[in-house]
Amino acid sequence: MRVLVDRLCKTYRDRSGHALVALDGIDLAVASEEFVAILGPSGCGKSTLLGIIAGLSAATSGQVLFEGERRPGQPLTATVFQEFALFPWRTVQGNVEFGLEELGLPPAERRERARRFIAMTGLEGFEGKYPHQLSGGMRQRVGIARALAVDPAVLLMDEPFSALDAQTRTLMMEELLGIWERARTSILYVTHNIHEAVYMADRVLVLSRRPGRVLDTVPVDLKRPRHEGQMGEADFLQATERIWGLIKSQAQAALVEGKD
Amino acid sequence: MGMCRPAVLGLAFLLGALVSGPAPARAADAVVKVGALKLTSSAPLFIGVEKGFFKEYGIDAELVFFQAAAPIATALATGQIDVGATGITAALYNIVLGGEQMWLVADKGREWPGYPLTGIVVQKDLYDGGVRAIADLKGRRIGITTLGSTFHYSLGNILEKSGLKLEDVRVVPLQTMPAAIEALKGKQVDAILLPQPFPGTAEAQGFGKILFWVGDLHPWQTVAVFYSKKLAADRQRAVAFMKGYVKASRYYFDAVLVQKDGALVPGSHYDEVVQITAKYTQAKPEVIRLGFPFQDRNARLLVTDIERQMKWWTDKGFMKRTIPLKGIVDTSFVEEAAKAVPEK
Amino acid sequence: MPAERVAARDRSAFLRRDDHRALRLAALVGLLALWEALTRVGWIPALFLPSPLGVLRELGEMAASGQLLLHLAASLRRLLLGFAVGACAGITVGIVTGFFSRADAVGQPLIAATFPIPKIALLPLLILWLGIGEPSKVAVIALGVFFPMAINTYAGVREADPLLVRAALAFGAGRWSVIRKVILPSALPMIFAGLKLGAGTALLLLVAAEMIAADSGIGFLVLHAGNIMDTTKLMVGIVCLSLLGVLSHWALTRCERRAVPWRQTS
Repeated sequence: MRVLVDRLCKTYRDRSGHALVALDGIDLAVASEEFVAILGPSGCGKSTLLGIIAGLSAATSGQVLFEGERRPGQPLTATVFQEFALFPWRTVQGNVEFGLEELGLPPAERRERARRFIAMTGLEGFEGKYPHQLSGGMRQRVGIARALAVDPAVLLMDEPFSALDAQTRTLMMEELLGIWERARTSILYVTHNIHEAVYMADRVLVLSRRPGRVLDTVPVDLKRPRHEGQMGEADFLQATERIWGLIKSQAQAALVEGKD
Repeated sequence: MGMCRPAVLGLAFLLGALVSGPAPARAADAVVKVGALKLTSSAPLFIGVEKGFFKEYGIDAELVFFQAAAPIATALATGQIDVGATGITAALYNIVLGGEQMWLVADKGREWPGYPLTGIVVQKDLYDGGVRAIADLKGRRIGITTLGSTFHYSLGNILEKSGLKLEDVRVVPLQTMPAAIEALKGKQVDAILLPQPFPGTAEAQGFGKILFWVGDLHPWQTVAVFYSKKLAADRQRAVAFMKGYVKASRYYFDAVLVQKDGALVPGSHYDEVVQITAKYTQAKPEVIRLGFPFQDRNARLLVTDIERQMKWWTDKGFMKRTIPLKGIVDTSFVEEAAKAVPEK
Repeated sequence: MPAERVAARDRSAFLRRDDHRALRLAALVGLLALWEALTRVGWIPALFLPSPLGVLRELGEMAASGQLLLHLAASLRRLLLGFAVGACAGITVGIVTGFFSRADAVGQPLIAATFPIPKIALLPLLILWLGIGEPSKVAVIALGVFFPMAINTYAGVREADPLLVRAALAFGAGRWSVIRKVILPSALPMIFAGLKLGAGTALLLLVAAEMIAADSGIGFLVLHAGNIMDTTKLMVGIVCLSLLGVLSHWALTRCERRAVPWRQTS
C-alpha cells in the first residue's frame, strides 16, 4: 500500500493556552515496498508524525491516506518502539502473538505465525523467555517480530535501535535489512542518525526543528542488498554530507537552546 | 463496646507488672486500698466509709473503682490494691492456680432465695408464646457478658437443675451488660442473664419478662471480699479492716435485708442506706430500691459452695484442677472480727 | 621526592552486609531458652508469662483433643471468606475508578472519606444491620481488606506504563483489551502489596469480630483465655495468630513470585 501524508499539521496547546506547533504542513508519500527514513534534530516532531500515521493521536489539520490493495483483515500499520514496549508479563511467544490476538486469529494459527517470525528474527529457542531475561538487542528483535507478525501494510519504526549500544546497532541494522528483503512491506523509519538513515533507506526525508517542516528529500542510490563496504562509497558520503549540510545549523541552534 | 475488655486490661496489667517487677512497697501503712465496682452490691463498703466504721478501728479505707470484675482480680494479684470486692469467677481461681496468692475472706453477696439479684429475662414475645420454664430454653440463644463470669456459672447450674446441659442452649457472649440488654431488645438473643436493675428495666420498657431470679433456683456464694497476700500477712491491719466491714455488714443487713412474714420490709436506716448507695453508684434511688443483694449478717462465707464452684469450673475445662480450700479460703479474719465487734 | 609504591586497599569492607543466618537462628533459640530458664527459676511468675515449653504442651493437648482444629477452622472460614469478598470488591473498585474518570470523580471522595474510619468502630453498626452471627464477622473483615485493595489497585492502574498502553493501541487493542491485557497485569505488583496489607488487617479484625457472640475461633480463644486468666491458653492463641500471619505472608509471597515473575518485590 501507499501512504500519502497531505499538509499535516499538529498544534499542541499547553495549560496557559500557548500554542506549540509541532508539525507545520508535512507532505510526504511512501510508495509500496519503499524504505523511507525520516530524519531531523530533536524536537522536530518526527515521532509525532509517526504517531499520527499509526492512529495513536489526531492531527490538527491535514490527513493521512492509505491507498492500494490490502488483504482482508490486514492492519494498516504496526509500530516498533524505541524503548521496545514489550509486555513484561508475557513471554517472547506471548508478545509476538499480541497483535495476532487483537486481529482475532484462532490460537493454533497465532502460534504458528508467531513461530515463523520468531524464527525469522533469530529468536528460536527463546520463545518461553520473559523480556527481563533478554538483552537489549534480543528485546528489539521481539518488537520487530511482533510488528511483522501482523503483516501490516506499512511498518512504522520509531528510532528502533537508539536504545542499543553501537555494535549491536550495526548488527541489528543488517538484520533488519535482511528481514525486509524477505518481508518487503513499506517501511517508515524515524531516526536522528544520518549514517543509519542513508544506509537503510531508499529516500531520506529531512525535517526542520520546531515547527517541523520538510526541508528536503534526499534520494539514496546505493545498490541493494546493502553492505558495510558501501559506507565508504562516494554516493554514500555525498548523501550524508548533503543531509548534514541541511541540518547542521538546526542542530547547533538546538544545542544552544537546550531541551525543547 | 470498649467498656469491659478484661482480656485487654488483663494483658496490660500483665505487661505492666512484668516491667515493674514485684509489687512496690507500701508508703502509708494505715491506708487500705479497696477495689470495687460501682454496683449496689458494694453497699456495705460505701456504708463503712460513710459512717466511719473503718476509721473506728484505725483503718483509712480508700475506695478504688473499676469498670469490670477481672481487673480487680489482677490488681489484687499484683498488689496494686489490698482488698478486692467482686464476683467470684474462673479467672480468679486461675490467678491463684497460676501462683499468685489471694485469700477469700468474707461474704459480699449471694444469690439467695427471696432476694432478687440476677434474673433470667426472656423476650416478651417468647414469654407470651409460652416460654415459661427453664426447660423451654432448650435450643435457644442465651446472652451473657463473658464465659467464665458469674452469669455463666448461674446459667450452667440453673440448666443442670432442670435436667439440661450448657450444650443444650446457645450461649452468646456479648462482653458488656448494656450490650446484652440491647441484644435482647433487638431480638438477637432469646434470653439474657443480668443483675438488677437491668431485668427491672427490661420489664418496665416492655421488651422483656423476668422468668426467674437465680437465687430462687440455685443459691450460691457469688461475690466475696478478697485479701492480697501482703494484707493477709499483716494480721493487725487485716483484722481491723474486717471489724469495720462486719459492723457495716450488720448495718446493711438490718437496713435492707429484713424479712417479715416472707416479704422484704425496709429496716432501720433504710432510706439512709439507699441514699448512700445512690451517692456512690450514681443510680436512681427508685432503681436501687428494686433490690439489694443478700449477704450473711456477719459477712461469713459459704465455704462449701467454694469447693463446689471449683469442681464445676474444672469439669467444664475452665480450670486445670481444683485448689484445696485451705489454699484459697481464710475465714479466721471474719471469725475474729465477728466475735470482737459488739452488737449495738 | 622519593618514588613510592603503594598497593590499593579495599576501604569499603565496613559497608558490606552479611546475612548472618546462623546468628538469626541462634538469637531466636537463645531468647526462647532464656525465657524458659527464667520461668523455671521463678523470676517470671508463671501466670504473667507462661514458659515456652508449657505453651507447647498446651498446644499439643489442644491439638490432640481436636480443640485447636475447631478454633482454627472457624477462624480460617471467616478469614478466607472475608478476604475473598473484600479483595474482589476492592480490586474491582480500584480498576473501575482507576480507568474511568467519571467513576474516579464519584469514587475517590467516597473512599477518602470512609477509609480513615477504624473498622473496629463500625462493628457495632454491622452487628445491628447484619445480626450477631457470621455475616457481621465476615463483613467487618471484608471491609478491612477492601480499602487497602481498592487504594492499591487504583495506584497500580494509574501507574500503568503509558508506553505499554500505546503499544497495545498500536496493535489494535480496544478499551477492554487494554484493561485486561495491559492495565491488570501492570497493576499486579501493587495488587499483591495490597493483598499483603489486607491479610494483616484481616487478622486484626478477626480478633475484634470474634469478641461478640462467638464460641470458636482463634480470636475467641485469645479473648476467652484472657477472660478466665488462663495465660497459657492465651499464649497458645497468640502463637496461632502469629503463625497465621507468617503463613499468609509466605503464601502470598509465593503466589506473587508465580504471578509476577518479572518483578522482584520483597
